[in-house]
Amino acid sequence: MQEFLELLPRFAVAALLTLELSLAGAALGLAGGFLLHLFRLGGGRVFALGCGVYVWLLRGTPFLSQLFIVYFGLPVLGLRLSAPEATVVSLAFYSAAYFSEIFRAGWAAIPRGQIEAAHAFGMTSRARFCHIELPQALAFALPLLANQLILVIKESAVASIITVPELTMTTSNIIASTYSYVMPYALLIAGYWLLTQSVAWLAQQAARRIPFLRTPS
Amino acid sequence: MSTLPILKLRAVGKSYGENRVLKGIDLDVMRGEIVTLIGPSGSGKTTALRCMNFLEAYDEGEIWIKGQLLGYSTGEQGRRTRDSEAAIAEVRRPVAMVFQQFNLWPHMSVLANVAAPLILARRMAKDEARRKALAALERVGMAHKAEAYPARLSGGQQQRVGIARALAVEPELMLLDEPTSALDPELVEEVQGVIRSLAQDGMTMVMVTHEMGFAAKISNRVVFMEGGLVVESGPPGELFGHSRTPRLQQFLKPWLERSLAP
Repeated sequence: MQEFLELLPRFAVAALLTLELSLAGAALGLAGGFLLHLFRLGGGRVFALGCGVYVWLLRGTPFLSQLFIVYFGLPVLGLRLSAPEATVVSLAFYSAAYFSEIFRAGWAAIPRGQIEAAHAFGMTSRARFCHIELPQALAFALPLLANQLILVIKESAVASIITVPELTMTTSNIIASTYSYVMPYALLIAGYWLLTQSVAWLAQQAARRIPFLRTPS
Repeated sequence: MSTLPILKLRAVGKSYGENRVLKGIDLDVMRGEIVTLIGPSGSGKTTALRCMNFLEAYDEGEIWIKGQLLGYSTGEQGRRTRDSEAAIAEVRRPVAMVFQQFNLWPHMSVLANVAAPLILARRMAKDEARRKALAALERVGMAHKAEAYPARLSGGQQQRVGIARALAVEPELMLLDEPTSALDPELVEEVQGVIRSLAQDGMTMVMVTHEMGFAAKISNRVVFMEGGLVVESGPPGELFGHSRTPRLQQFLKPWLERSLAP
């Protein structure tokens, strides 16, 4: 109990950092993923191909290697990022690939007939996009987006390797100095669990508030 | 009274790759007329209907709506170029469509579904659009469900909302693609009742249907299609009573036997 109380503040700070890194990375990744999706929808063949290659590369390589390229590789080009900055940037590039695929799935789930109805009634492509496609696609995508955010939170543990003092790094430091394993690891697991479950719970609450997702009873 | 047909098809053809599903359709629809397209599956009747508002791009012949060529512009040497989406929307403006699968937008309330084309396509003020939408819903007996979401409604109710959505844009021509085919048998009547009442009000309609009895009662003219061609067309009494072609006789046989059965 004594150990728990001593460690708790350090874990709270570390968990907060994990959350900050993940949220910042995922927010940028979400925006990037949406842009990728838009390019693929209407940007012509060259853009679509470029986006396809991007997704192909980012999904096909480990996050750790992407982080190394950003943290150790970019300084060669004259761009030196701090470890937390490199983490956010890497998480953003990495998750953008997945987010764009999620948006693609959300769009693919819209029944063709609804788009036809919008056409038949003379809606402009912009009205169609904003009022018919977007609200539905986002609602379909919501659980997948939350899922991806959870994956980003867990992937952020890799930042410990470049010495970002987030949850995993903090745990390693404590273990190295105290030789106590059980309590630090228990707190580590509890920390990630709390963060990820909060995201899952929030997404569930949000989904419940979308009236048209409630299926008739 | 204008003698100009509101809808005119001349030698309209449509191919999907090698498969020529429409092989030259001619059709004139006058104001106030109700024309039904019948025929076996794959005869091209739904494709013909979808070409009439350019949901499918026809690739031979001409379709004229109120004297305007739909979908294409003819250049100097008679070469056709496809119109912009906005230009197509402008020509098809007098036309509204009712779909087999209703195609309501599930994320909008019933009222929002009916008002959306007015607000998003006709640039009508929201208040006015909602008033118009409510009036259209009243017309089909669905005003009491204005705030409900489509998923909460029965198929018949959804289709009535679909009809209200079409009515709200005050169309001069309504296209109905098998409006009762996706409904349980007991819900067919309520939708047919609404369509009948539109007919009584003088709405011009082109309808694809498999309901021969309904087609016989409601139409001024029935068009029998097969293999992408119009095989026979005429007033329902003539077509259903004295069909000239063996193919139509064969097509109508099961229905005639059923309706003549004691």
